[in-house]
Amino acid sequence: MTKTTGFELTRRRALQMMGLAGAAAFASTTLGHSVARAAGTDQEGRVIIAFTGEPTVFNPHKPHIEADEAVHAALYDTLVEIDEKGEYHPVLAETVPTIENGGISADGLNWTIKLRDGVKWHDGKPFTAEDVKFNIELLVNPDFASWRKTGHELVRDLKVVSPTELTFRLERPYAPYAAILASTPIIPKHAYDGITNLNEAPFDQSPIGTGPFKWKNRIAGDHVELEANTEYFGDGPHLKGAIFKYIPDFSVFYTQFKTGDYDLVGIQYLMPDVYEEARTLADKKVELVGNGYVESISLNMKKPQFQDPKVREALYLAVDKGGIIDALYYGTMRPTESFMPQESFYYNPDLPKHEFNIAKANEILDAAGWAKGGDGVRAKDGVRLAFTNSTTAGNNLREQTQQFLQQTFKEIGVEMTISNLPPAVMWGDYWLKSEFDSVIVGLNVMTGADPECSDYYKSTSSPATGGVGQNTWVYANPKVDELLVKGAELNDAAERLAIYREIQSEIRKDLPFLPLFQYQAVRGYKNGLEGIRYNINSRSDTWNIREWRWAKG
Amino acid sequence: MIAFILGRLWQSLILLVLVSIIGYCVLNLAPGGPLSQYSLMPGMTKEALDRIAEQMGLNRPLYVQYVDWAWKLVQGDWGKSFRDGRPVLSVISSVLPATLLLMVGSTIISVLIGTVIGVYSAVRSGSVFDYVATVLAMVALSVPTFWFGLISIYVFSVKLGWLPAGNMMTPGDGSVWDVTVHLIMPSIVLALVNVAIWSRYMRSSTLEVLGQDFIRTARAKGVRPRRILVKHVMGNALLPMIALAGMQLPALIGGALVTETVFTWPGMGRLFLDSLGYNDYPVVMGILMFSAILVLLGSLLADIISAMIDPRIQLN
Amino acid sequence: MSTTTTFSNNNSGSWRQSRVLRQFLRNKLAVIGMLMLLILLAACFIGPHLIAYDELHIDLRARFAPPLTGGHIFGTDPLGRDLAARLFHAGQISLFVGFCAMIISTVIGTTIGVVAGYYGRWVGAVLMRITDAFLSFPSVFLLLALAAFIKPSPVMITLIIAVTSWMELARIIEAEIKSLRDREFIQAARMLGLRGRWIMFRELLPNAMGPVIVAATLTIARAILLEAYISFLGYGIQPPLPSLGNMLNGAQQYLTSAPWLAIVPGIAITMAVTGFNFIGDGLRDALDTRKG
Repeated sequence: MTKTTGFELTRRRALQMMGLAGAAAFASTTLGHSVARAAGTDQEGRVIIAFTGEPTVFNPHKPHIEADEAVHAALYDTLVEIDEKGEYHPVLAETVPTIENGGISADGLNWTIKLRDGVKWHDGKPFTAEDVKFNIELLVNPDFASWRKTGHELVRDLKVVSPTELTFRLERPYAPYAAILASTPIIPKHAYDGITNLNEAPFDQSPIGTGPFKWKNRIAGDHVELEANTEYFGDGPHLKGAIFKYIPDFSVFYTQFKTGDYDLVGIQYLMPDVYEEARTLADKKVELVGNGYVESISLNMKKPQFQDPKVREALYLAVDKGGIIDALYYGTMRPTESFMPQESFYYNPDLPKHEFNIAKANEILDAAGWAKGGDGVRAKDGVRLAFTNSTTAGNNLREQTQQFLQQTFKEIGVEMTISNLPPAVMWGDYWLKSEFDSVIVGLNVMTGADPECSDYYKSTSSPATGGVGQNTWVYANPKVDELLVKGAELNDAAERLAIYREIQSEIRKDLPFLPLFQYQAVRGYKNGLEGIRYNINSRSDTWNIREWRWAKG
Repeated sequence: MIAFILGRLWQSLILLVLVSIIGYCVLNLAPGGPLSQYSLMPGMTKEALDRIAEQMGLNRPLYVQYVDWAWKLVQGDWGKSFRDGRPVLSVISSVLPATLLLMVGSTIISVLIGTVIGVYSAVRSGSVFDYVATVLAMVALSVPTFWFGLISIYVFSVKLGWLPAGNMMTPGDGSVWDVTVHLIMPSIVLALVNVAIWSRYMRSSTLEVLGQDFIRTARAKGVRPRRILVKHVMGNALLPMIALAGMQLPALIGGALVTETVFTWPGMGRLFLDSLGYNDYPVVMGILMFSAILVLLGSLLADIISAMIDPRIQLN
Repeated sequence: MSTTTTFSNNNSGSWRQSRVLRQFLRNKLAVIGMLMLLILLAACFIGPHLIAYDELHIDLRARFAPPLTGGHIFGTDPLGRDLAARLFHAGQISLFVGFCAMIISTVIGTTIGVVAGYYGRWVGAVLMRITDAFLSFPSVFLLLALAAFIKPSPVMITLIIAVTSWMELARIIEAEIKSLRDREFIQAARMLGLRGRWIMFRELLPNAMGPVIVAATLTIARAILLEAYISFLGYGIQPPLPSLGNMLNGAQQYLTSAPWLAIVPGIAITMAVTGFNFIGDGLRDALDTRKG
């Protein structure tokens, strides 16, 4: 079903450069495509991007959804960015700091960041190192409801050396910090002058950035409009404006794409069932693009039903992955055994392959002493092999998957009851404090492009057992704990590779969740739109919107 | 009359307090609570959640929170949206025009069609037309609005391709014509129920007027039937119809919610559903209160008009 | 029935009942409504035995079969389940939800109406203001706000539908009881020293049964509609349990490729609701003493 293209292979090879040391090789590369000063005269046309979620949060440091990040990428710049090949490029920074160029000390602890000179905010004020300092401090400020503290909270001795240079020290070596900086847009310090309540700044409604596009207006519930920043420091923008349109319904979303009401499909993308038809549309370029989310049946390891590894193994055998992917998802998803995207350099391709084998599953359960009762449901030591499965109510494809699983699980004497919940209930304590039995969920556990995932798999990351993090499976494996600590501290990509591969194989063996597939999105745009580069290393559909342009003529 | 209006206003005020208590209780009985929006954030900790709860004042007893909230409400501070941080009132007012447009469009349609059907049914009382209209009105009251919407989309957008399947405007267009084209289908769908109610109402009030002495006199005098109809019947039925509109407001707002969902119309109903999905409590609460105020104003208007028409009501 | 009941249906009961029945049967629409409901009931309770398919049986090879193909009279759904089998079960569930919601909301509405009407003064005022307050919310909003924050199960859905649809009945009953309260037979009962509860529910209520029956019938129709609304929006009854509403949830997505997914359950809902509305209307005419 899924075709691997050469494009992906080169991407994988290039992703070897994703770690810090890897980035060193590109230290001398300046932002090739954006180094040229824009004349600010060649903007033409505008692009309309549609989303099925509404962008509503324009302060990138506040809690937000992915659709918001598409707007952020157009409004703001980051210090550095990661392209689709995993290469780092400087944006607001003058160079990518590395150990080789002295930007990072050999122990990975002391950082010096040199900034581009002459960059101006949309309101004309100069961008300086004070702004960067302010951002990092704001993100960890306890009075600010911050989107992400991870990484930033390790920063110590943050000093502005000159308007274009700042230095800081990390409390301990933390390899993912470069990836975190690549997904941290910089907002202006002066927008917070005189603001006492950090959570309610006027800036939230009328954002100011350094990015290729400026804020124009917003019609709530409908769209956000941006216009070209003709003073942009880099190359571009080549469009007069960009409209971020909200279309809440998938069928309307697709209809309007067909009719050409908008130009580019944004996040949540098209439904799998329209892929076959969409790829044949005459004036559109439609393709499957992988993203970092992995769908799984997550099990609560605290529950007595799931404590026997044989049960988890048998359940996995009774999952008809092929049926789910080929029929329900129209073959658009890629089966996976890992929690890590297959594009990642750290992905382990040698994990044991899943098979769908009811007979074998039954054998395993029989051998493990789970005997069928009068009602056809297995039990052992007073524990019935019965559990609930939950996901967000109203998600049709997941609901179909659940009902399909229910049927094959029944064949191995397992009773699965569907208990879906409204989002408000589902992702609250029910999920975080591990009150569920099992859940179908799509997760991206990476830290940006970095494989660091302690928040999810460390035994100390379960809120249900008093921990901090999102290990809602209550998964505990001392070996994985140890590896995770090591992996986050090492800087060498090759050394890290071995560690993260081992983590994947441990987790595949333990099966705290039954991996279903890695998401691939049906994405597309109107012919004539140039410069679109899908980038799995960025959560923004518009990460390089400054390069986009309409074909001449 | 003024005493009556003041009395009704006073009653409405008491109602509003009750309404706010009910609404507040409904939302705060939820298990997830307003905090669940933060709980999925990467690296979110229990301590951080507690701190946010404290910042938001969620660690206080419920009645204290209510009094605080209600006091601010009175002063015009309806809180801020959890999603985009804008004041709730401006969030609501930004989507209100779309909903009003839909409601006005549908009201115009239902008044026009309902009046024609109703008056004609009354004049031809007992005819096949009258009977069919009666039956259809009953059926119209039984069809689920969203399903009627779906079927309309299937017929007029999918099959015939005449009308857009949703949204308020083509992105980047938004001209009057463009919006009108988008408005047609949703407003007809929303109008369905009201056409039924309206036409029934017009029928009975026309029959009533037709039976009155002055009409017989006018007829005897040789005034043409159409003039009688237009002048007397319509004149007499108009005020009660405004009263009826006031009474029908909750149904119209509720119907708008469902219609907006099917047609992805960017109005208050859509906002309500989105806000529910994102646990945006202040906005959900705001819309509940706002719609309740609209409904109360509607019934107040209805009562005042009824009192104007029928002086006996004042005595009650 | 107490001996003091001079006004009610005691000795004239059978005569009046037959008159009501005749009135009702003379109303063509009411009879049509009855027939529609009988057909639906037959389909829902006998239908499943006539169909070779189980409503939960998934067969991915047979997904999206159009009506009248492969032995599926109404076609199949996205999981290849027989739509007819699902529809009949959905009908049972929706009717059940509607019926239970009616019972609960009638009990709530009647109790509040009778108590408010009998005691009047501040008790009545408080109860009726609460009723008005509930009426001030567009019911779909209130229903959704409740549904979005609870664990959806048929029982909970039934309860919240009942909780949001008792108000009209309470108003009607209150008015009715108020008008009966000062009649001679009630005054006589009071003088005999009968307790308030007895008077309310043994003397007054039986005399107000007409409006209760009419409102109850209409409430079933309304409850079926409300279930459909919230299930359509994804907050109602959850799969694999089919309900008329949740069969439509997701149908919009397949409107182009599989329109029968939207058409079939929609017609069923319309039939059920129309049936109850016709009957309710017929009952109203038949029970209306002013007419007779």
